[in-house]
Amino acid sequence: MTFAVQTGLFFHRKLLETLRQPVWIITGLTTPALYLALFAPLLRSLDGGPAFPPGQVLDVFVPGVLVLVAFGAGMGAGWPVIWELDTGVLERLRVTPASRLALLLGTVLRDIVMFAVPGLVVTAIAAGFGFHLHWAGLALLFLLLALLTAACSATSSALGLILKQIGGLAAVVTGVQLPLTLLAGILLPLSLGPAWLRVLGHLNPMYYAVQAARSLAAGSVATGAVGLGFLVMGALAALALWWGTRAYQQAMT
Amino acid sequence: MSSPPLPPPAPASAAVAISGLRKSFRVAGQTIEAVSGIDLTVAAGEIFGLLGPNGAGKTTTLRILTTLLPADGGSAHVAGADVLAEPAVVRRRIGYVSQLGGADKSATGRENLLLAGRLYGLSAADATRRCDELAEVFDLGQLLTRSVRTYSGGQRRRLEVALGIMHRPRVLFLDEPTTGLDPQNRANLWDQLRGLRAAGTTICLTTHYLDEADQLCDRVAIVDHGRVIALGTPDQLKRRYSADTITVTPDVTASALPALAGELADATSAEASVTENGVISLTVTDQTPAMAAVFGVLAGRGVNVLAASVGQPSLDDVFLRETGRSLRDAGGPESGRAAGADAAREVAA
Repeated sequence: MTFAVQTGLFFHRKLLETLRQPVWIITGLTTPALYLALFAPLLRSLDGGPAFPPGQVLDVFVPGVLVLVAFGAGMGAGWPVIWELDTGVLERLRVTPASRLALLLGTVLRDIVMFAVPGLVVTAIAAGFGFHLHWAGLALLFLLLALLTAACSATSSALGLILKQIGGLAAVVTGVQLPLTLLAGILLPLSLGPAWLRVLGHLNPMYYAVQAARSLAAGSVATGAVGLGFLVMGALAALALWWGTRAYQQAMT
Repeated sequence: MSSPPLPPPAPASAAVAISGLRKSFRVAGQTIEAVSGIDLTVAAGEIFGLLGPNGAGKTTTLRILTTLLPADGGSAHVAGADVLAEPAVVRRRIGYVSQLGGADKSATGRENLLLAGRLYGLSAADATRRCDELAEVFDLGQLLTRSVRTYSGGQRRRLEVALGIMHRPRVLFLDEPTTGLDPQNRANLWDQLRGLRAAGTTICLTTHYLDEADQLCDRVAIVDHGRVIALGTPDQLKRRYSADTITVTPDVTASALPALAGELADATSAEASVTENGVISLTVTDQTPAMAAVFGVLAGRGVNVLAASVGQPSLDDVFLRETGRSLRDAGGPESGRAAGADAAREVAA
């Protein structure tokens, strides 16, 4: 009970912080919309080609954009953590009896909101341009990607607490962002690539999220890809939350 | 008939009891001992000061006592609980205002206070009531609905102290609470801390200001290189380690000075010295009777006094006697060890 209250308090605090920075809300919405507006047209010519069944370009592309939104919403968590370290906010909170996991979850839940709201907007826009809506699949898709956001958010917080420097965090996050997203087949399916690329993709946990997301978006709920996606994302989120909590316990010692 | 033996005196209830406390950091391949065996007891209800230069180990000690940093050795009990074994209990009973303060600048003062209260288990209604109460005590009324970003340094410090006592802690720790405050705000904060003590809170603070230790603290531990080098009330320390000085410039010829100095020394049972510009300096244990004796001798001989002054001892004299350095100069870049310990703290932070 106390734990739930504390998590709620930290979530509320983080949500207020975000709402006071309208620029994040605006870019959170415009970035995925720009992907749809500027990148999706490039794919039109692939319609009916390999990996793109006729009339389903958006059905393949939109899940990828949603994965990107989920990834981006989570990976930004580390920056404010460093700021809170530098201004003594975290030290003050650490002297309270508050649970460290609750502290971490406050940010994680805020980031899930920051994924879900733009994600829903993008889905709605894409539906207008021919993205097929499968309600059950879509609900599970958002649940799956909430796990991805949680994993990314907790990882980013842990990295911020360990690296303690904006520069170091920026180098690590931008360094992993490109290989992780390319090797997940987010924008273009990996099935287009050579065998070695597909093998590498299988080593990337995000690949399983993308595969499951495409299956769910197509309305295929009971597939192996979906099961594997939930398994990998669930394990990843649990691992990241454990790591993030540990980092909060140790960050300032 | 013999009276039954008296029971042993009840141990004075200690708010903080530290023994043999040690902590070292590894910085750039070197081990730097920030705290090298500190023993201290802070009685409930006192304002206790850790005075020392930067890098003396004050902040590290405070961070150990507030559960932020595990000690390497020794023991520490705070508010009746073991810091190492029961950090969760200690956290509920203490408040901490760090050097950085730690108010969330993107939130309003009220949001900061309510969150702090709720995290300590106050209900929403209790937290609101306490928030209003502290707004009055710390004169924060109109400010509370504003973002902390807009506060002045003094206003923010007041909020940060309020944050530290939302839950009415038994022991309040403050790290360099008045650094960066103007004299007016410093005096106000001192008054507020005295008010907290009057309400029963034990206060343990660090400072590198001599006057703060002298005027605010009931007892002071002077810390250098991770050790307590002197401990007592400011008056005790000053009396033990230094003495009052009386200087007089008598209107006599230079050749008459030594004899007069000798006579004054006898009259005050003090040591006297004569400087080249005709000033007699006396180091006395108690200035008031000595002053009377000096003027008695001078009047008896019909000597006019051109100038006279009384020098009061300061805690800096204590530091100087113990370390050979002045506290005002210590801790600068020239003292390698202190700078190293500072670096260690930076790394640890």
